[in-house]
Amino acid sequence: MAVQTSSPAATQHGVLVGTDWVAQHLNDAAIRIVEVDVDTTAYGKGHVPNAVGWAWDTQLCDTVRRDIIPKGAFEKLLGSSGIGNNTTIILYGDNNNWFAAWAFWQLKVYGHQDVRLMNGGRKKWIAEGRELSTDTPKITRTSYQAKEADTTIRAFLPEVMKASSERAAQLVDVRSPQEYSGEILAPPGLPETCQRGGHIPGAANIPWGKACNDDGTFKSAEELRALYGSAGITGEQPVIAYCRIGERSSHTWFVLKHLLGYQHVKNYDGSWTEWGNLVAAPVEKP
Amino acid sequence: MPKPEEYSERKTQLAGWPVNIVTFRLGAVYHTTIDNTDPGAWVVKAQGASKQASESKALQEAELLLEKVKKSKPPTGCTSVPGF
Repeated sequence: MAVQTSSPAATQHGVLVGTDWVAQHLNDAAIRIVEVDVDTTAYGKGHVPNAVGWAWDTQLCDTVRRDIIPKGAFEKLLGSSGIGNNTTIILYGDNNNWFAAWAFWQLKVYGHQDVRLMNGGRKKWIAEGRELSTDTPKITRTSYQAKEADTTIRAFLPEVMKASSERAAQLVDVRSPQEYSGEILAPPGLPETCQRGGHIPGAANIPWGKACNDDGTFKSAEELRALYGSAGITGEQPVIAYCRIGERSSHTWFVLKHLLGYQHVKNYDGSWTEWGNLVAAPVEKP
Repeated sequence: MPKPEEYSERKTQLAGWPVNIVTFRLGAVYHTTIDNTDPGAWVVKAQGASKQASESKALQEAELLLEKVKKSKPPTGCTSVPGF
């Protein structure tokens, strides 16, 4: 399958498709387009024709305990979306594919082979004046078989503690500088969900949005390499990315793992809402 | 199938915070989204019969919300607990 993109890194790894490419494959039976937004009402107001919509807050997480979607629920979600194990999944969403990257990460946790992001996401599709549909696509259910969860791309608290105290991995805090410094506990306008502000000791601050151009597309491989390299993140050591709840960091995880091809990259989805609420956890405030 | 038209995007400050304002028309309705630039999460959404009506409604709501953001005192140093 050809991949249309201007990013050399994306071409190399085959994980990005352009809006033109998506427009030409709206009715391709081998492909399922999925919208995942920060604003879970956006899909209902108009979406890429034939796309299904997933809600990150109810469908891409465990709704009882704090965790990613359980394997059985994941299989049901993909089956009800008409996705088989060989389907090519094209993800897109608002806000530079923020939660689309969160879905991408979970799809990789459960071993889906062919999943890609639409470069530029919903914003670029709308800015280009492309068709929006409010119709729900007709789906033929499938029986999806997920693999066991791949923990090589997911970091849990003990590993992050070790990374911080022993510098066993490089920590990248992808939140805004004001969240990193502890000046604010949550992005402006969003609820505060932690008790303390600051960051995990030893973490470098590289806000996730720096990986994107103004039109929402990803920067070139050269620019991305320079961005992370300037903070010493070169892929030679293991990297753990975190943010507030693990979605912004899945975007950075995608960049490091799939656009730059760094081998050992994990997303710490517990992120600051776990660390910043721990009793006696070390907190650094610059 | 409708197509979004009159797409516009601009940055400004509201209650001291940088925001991004996106408006487009879908059919007869103008849609405005205001996001907080960093990280870019939407703060408010509004609709109106004109661009001005949609944006002014969104701006009002966003300003009220952003005025409530608390800032902590300037950081004074490391509060690490050794041996954790």
